Amino acid sequence: MFNEYVLTVISNIGMISLIALSAYLLLITGEISFGQQAFFGISAYAGAVASTLWGWPFWLALLFGSILAALAAGLVGVLTLRISGMYFSIATLAFAEMVRLSLYKLTYQIEVDGELIGPNGAEGFGEIRWIFDHDISVLEYTIMIYGVLLLVLIFLALIERSRLGMIFRMLGEDPLLSRTLGLDPVRYKVSAAVIAGFIAGLGGTLYAHSFTYIEPQIFNVMLGVHSLAYGLIGGLGTVLGPLIGVAIDIGFLESIRIFQGYRMIVFGGLVAVMLIFMPRGILDEDRIYRIKAVTRKWFNA
Amino acid sequence: MTDFVQNCIDGLMFGSGYALLALGFTLVFGVMKRLNLSFGPSIMLGAYVGTWVYLNISDNTWLVALVTLIATITVGAYVERLCFRAIRRDATIASMVSSFAIWMQLEEIAMHLLPERTYPFPAFFTTTTLEFGPFYARSEHITMLLLTLALLILLHAFLFRTRLGLALRTVSDNPLASAYMGINGSNILFLAFALVSVLGGLAGFLILSADSQVTPFFGLWATFKGLIAMMLGGMGSLPGAILGGLLLGVVEANAFWYGGPVIRDLSAYLLLFVMLIVRPGGLIGQRIVAEQRAADERV
Amino acid sequence: MLKVENIVTRYGAIEALKGLSLDARHGEVTCLLGPNGAGKTTTMFSIAGILNPHSGSITLDGNDLTNQSAPSIVRKGIALVPENRLIFPEMSVTDNLYAGAYCRSRSERQAVDDDLAETFERFPRLKERRAQIGGTLSGGEQQMLAIGRALMARPKILMMDEPSLGLAPMVVEEIFSFIHQLNQEGVTILLVEQNAHMALKVAHKIYLLEQGKVTFNGSPEDMQQDEMIHRAYLGVGSS
Repeated sequence: MFNEYVLTVISNIGMISLIALSAYLLLITGEISFGQQAFFGISAYAGAVASTLWGWPFWLALLFGSILAALAAGLVGVLTLRISGMYFSIATLAFAEMVRLSLYKLTYQIEVDGELIGPNGAEGFGEIRWIFDHDISVLEYTIMIYGVLLLVLIFLALIERSRLGMIFRMLGEDPLLSRTLGLDPVRYKVSAAVIAGFIAGLGGTLYAHSFTYIEPQIFNVMLGVHSLAYGLIGGLGTVLGPLIGVAIDIGFLESIRIFQGYRMIVFGGLVAVMLIFMPRGILDEDRIYRIKAVTRKWFNA
Repeated sequence: MTDFVQNCIDGLMFGSGYALLALGFTLVFGVMKRLNLSFGPSIMLGAYVGTWVYLNISDNTWLVALVTLIATITVGAYVERLCFRAIRRDATIASMVSSFAIWMQLEEIAMHLLPERTYPFPAFFTTTTLEFGPFYARSEHITMLLLTLALLILLHAFLFRTRLGLALRTVSDNPLASAYMGINGSNILFLAFALVSVLGGLAGFLILSADSQVTPFFGLWATFKGLIAMMLGGMGSLPGAILGGLLLGVVEANAFWYGGPVIRDLSAYLLLFVMLIVRPGGLIGQRIVAEQRAADERV
Repeated sequence: MLKVENIVTRYGAIEALKGLSLDARHGEVTCLLGPNGAGKTTTMFSIAGILNPHSGSITLDGNDLTNQSAPSIVRKGIALVPENRLIFPEMSVTDNLYAGAYCRSRSERQAVDDDLAETFERFPRLKERRAQIGGTLSGGEQQMLAIGRALMARPKILMMDEPSLGLAPMVVEEIFSFIHQLNQEGVTILLVEQNAHMALKVAHKIYLLEQGKVTFNGSPEDMQQDEMIHRAYLGVGSS
């Protein structure tokens, strides 16, 4: 039916969007995290272990991986409460690298169906077979991914409209002002971290099952910087922003043959240029405000 | 016990390479209050151009050194224009992310230039191993250590005893006020960048020729090591860069000896993470955090 | 000495100065008085080259300064003591002073060192603290440092933007008596102030600035005698 290659690209976009949204949420609160890939990775390994080694049902494994990622994110959030700005960003980077390097040391193998399966340090973790064991087609899995993505988008959209979302944005715009208004940044910083970690976690487990093989090298700084860049390019004014960024990179640049081998040059240059002229992305808060004003006029006309 | 001391000696030697890189980072941060994450890749690209010359034009070590330096400065100028000059002064994080993005660009460019995994790099020094008692050290590492210390002294003299150094410090301290003094901010910043690029090119050349080879991982490696060393010592502090580099070297050498390469790298990041949480100002610059807090409280 | 003719300075679409003219005469203290938002700092910036006027001209002893860069204006003999001092907080007092002399040519090195010594004579408190870091000085000391720093450029005219801002009344008295003394020694001063009371004590000529235009100019006596202005700026019952 659908060209399998196209479906793979689409499902990749879906999964990477999750980690992009995770970085986006933190960007909104004014913090730049270079380390969301750590939670993506923790969940990938944890979720895959649960489904493959322990035989858990998929959705339970997904939840397990994501909750573990969220807890780890919460831990980092608490530890980094006192620091902000550049110090915070570098700390997230350090933590992510610590996680990645630790994965090289992670060996946990069990015999399943006569074979030794499980994470094996640098050799990675293969045979994450849940999809094949349950006869899920590429199309079906893609739909599952987008189902999760949709739920996350709805959840984030609801947050944006709620008081919590307003507080998050206020923290991002003017943390000093927020303090004078009596808002305790601790609760909000940690909540944002936990939610972002959970979202990245969802992406991680989905990713592990889609690719059926994961290794520590995947969850490196480049992934983290890309996640950040997607929001910065697509726009920080709306949850759709990061998705646009992902689509541009994976959907456009990765897939089109001319860019083969030059993708980083183009993408890197694009990010740098965007940061000069449109530092809050294509769909930044300003543009979203104007779009909303225009659509409001239509409805009232 | 002998092992531990030998590790420390190795660590100090190797750490001086880190210190050189950290000096570059800390100068950029000290003057511009921004982090240039393209520093490592700029040096690498410079080294690649030098390597290309080495392989295709001439194997004269001095020529290669000169080309490496010039190439590093050129790439540095490109990064400065795009990621720093073009971005508003207070958008420090934007510059940082932008330089990260350009890093991706530079790596790919380097890979197109020289597609193989490893290339020979001219060895600047002849290797002799010096022994003293039960310990030993390689001569090129000692040279690097001495050179680093000499550079520190030179830099310090430049910054604190020359008119230009004074101008640079004013621009980093209070750019608006320095404009009132008639000091041309953009020129000074460009000078700072050139200085940093020269430092970087030198660091790259020394480290690579001590190793006699260059690989595409050098860029990433140089950036992270320099960054960690700088943050350990304290952002913006010259002596801090040296101390941080040496500390990193010693910790890594011991971690490697007792644990292997993964443990070595892990220890480096763990050290950085803990330092950032407990003492973000680094070994030297505790003032920074206190100042940030004081500024917050004033409001 | 310094002639400003009809300058119009804009911030984007907003006209901050709407055709302002003033004349600062050699050896005198000229004061620009006015409420917040009148355009006093904008005037200072336009003269110092931080902002470029849209039209009009600024000349110093016949030299045209309009639209020149800040560094070249400093070199032509105008030194600015900015609002809020703007000293270099992480540099020592001595370094701050040397920074002021940056624009002087290398051949003047001995003269610069002599001026440094003279500045320390003039400001004994600064001499005591010469190795101290700028950010740790008190408000009044910082003001003296800012003035000393500007003087190190051996300017033809010293511009001061609200020197009394943020300082305790006793310190303000000290600063103004110092300004008076400086002028007695022959330094030409262009002052911008909100504190009319103090300004009147030292100024030879007053320009009243309101919403980007000069609405009055004259000597302090003229101002005292004009009833309306007297009441608006000096309050009823003061003389």
